[in-house]
Amino acid sequence: MRVLETRGLGIRFGGLRAVQELDLFLDQGELVALIGPNGAGKTTVFNMLTGVYKPTEGEIRFFGERIDGMSPYALTRKGIARTFQNIRLFQQLSVLDNVRIAHQVNTHHTFIDSILRLPRFGREERRMLEESRALLETMGLLAVADEAARNLSYGQQRRLEIARALATHPKLLLLDEPAAGMNPRETHELMEMIERVRKTFGMTILLIEHDMSLVMNISERIYVLDHGVLIAHGGPEDVRKNPRVIEAYLGEAAEDALA
Amino acid sequence: MVNRRKALITGLLLLIGYAVVQLMLSMGLIDPFYENMLMNIGINIMLAVSLHLIIGVTGQFSIGHAGFLAVGAYVSAVLTTKLDQPFLPAILAAGVAAALFGILVGVPTLRLRGDYLAIATLGFGEIVRITLYNIDYVGGAAGMQVRHLTNWTYLYIAVIVMIIVIANLTNSAHGRALLAIREDEVAAEAMGVNTTYYKVLAFAVGAFFAGIAGAMYAHQFYVIQPVAFGFLKSFEILVIVVLGGIGSLSGAILAATLLSLVNIYLQAFPETRMILYSLVLILVMLYRPQGLMGNREITDLLKRRLGKEA
Repeated sequence: MRVLETRGLGIRFGGLRAVQELDLFLDQGELVALIGPNGAGKTTVFNMLTGVYKPTEGEIRFFGERIDGMSPYALTRKGIARTFQNIRLFQQLSVLDNVRIAHQVNTHHTFIDSILRLPRFGREERRMLEESRALLETMGLLAVADEAARNLSYGQQRRLEIARALATHPKLLLLDEPAAGMNPRETHELMEMIERVRKTFGMTILLIEHDMSLVMNISERIYVLDHGVLIAHGGPEDVRKNPRVIEAYLGEAAEDALA
Repeated sequence: MVNRRKALITGLLLLIGYAVVQLMLSMGLIDPFYENMLMNIGINIMLAVSLHLIIGVTGQFSIGHAGFLAVGAYVSAVLTTKLDQPFLPAILAAGVAAALFGILVGVPTLRLRGDYLAIATLGFGEIVRITLYNIDYVGGAAGMQVRHLTNWTYLYIAVIVMIIVIANLTNSAHGRALLAIREDEVAAEAMGVNTTYYKVLAFAVGAFFAGIAGAMYAHQFYVIQPVAFGFLKSFEILVIVVLGGIGSLSGAILAATLLSLVNIYLQAFPETRMILYSLVLILVMLYRPQGLMGNREITDLLKRRLGKEA
């Protein structure tokens, strides 16, 4: 089943075409990577997929429905969740509250229910608390549930970002450079965790990364973006050997040196 | 069960607190000076806590709160003195009118953040003041004579209802959505929080209670004039919230009480009053830069103490 599909997707900032003519798709349960050198437009693509930017060209479909131009919160409610390249947790709030805020996508009581503390409020708050705790346990964060998010270690903060995204019950998870700033051991653990999340939740995942070697092992397909244009697409092996990808990453001189 | 018992005890204490003061008032044990002081404190608590919802919880830096106060004061005053309506409907109308203004301010200023929002809300407050200045029906610059209708019962109920509403709202999924906006608006939106809706909600609820405070204010001090609702008044409320600790409801109550007292006792030194008042503020900010309570609540401190003993 096709989860996400873009056709001719592009965006201009003034005279700059940050991304152009992008066609990509994700099928149910796939883990696909979007890679490219710094400044290639990867995060811009994410921002279009999550409604932060409104694309100026092309269309985005989510389970067949046009979603381009919808606001970020509406897209989250439809089932697209994301993490941020530069961690954006609710710093002063507890780990538990960070996850609970994401959970509230699924609450149905109104603010009147909360003010009057009607039965529906109690029921939903209890359910939210239980689900949040269960999720924190899966992500190995239950022990720090009452800590303020800003007091967590870097690796824990990255994990909390993913937990928070999962709490919205997404059908598609977008991870923006989840391994940024991590050492090789932490990165390895993270990749294992992403695999686990994918298996446990049957999640479809689109992963941004600029380090190519990282995604080779876990992705089924890889899209390579350079200067806002798609330059390669295929399985990890095809992409690795693709001369245009090598050129984008290492420059022509390096290619000559390799030859 | 524990919660129900706790609620019962709290309710009982609140009732006793009310009854004791009411009894003392009716027996003449509290003279008019102290009664006036009590009313002043109550009104300032209402203003501070309603602004706390907008600034402390939702993180929307608003400095036009006196505008909502003015709307509430004038709407209720017109209803009771010009249209001879009873006080209670006038109070509610004051809240609703101010809430509508809250929505009116909230919607166009939603795209603004930080300093820009502050300037826009400041502008709103001034527009309200100057508009009132130019309406002859409400007395223009000379203001309006208002009957004295505010009493301990009305004010006490208004303050308690407001605290319950704002505390319950804050400690719920909706309150966490407001906190998320304060912490990181982009992330909040990405987590499915409809930031537009929640910002308007915060402005509407905050303005509603500021409007009710306005009704209490108008019917306490006999006369209302536009000059009382200028930006200095907005700053006064802002100072209370900052002094109490941004994000702390009990801090707002504490600071409102303390500053009202300081203000009243300094009236004995008319020449140096503002200097002394400013000195108090500077000293508190020097020694408690995070505000009296930081972002904690009285209940957090109690919990910690109980936890240690257990």
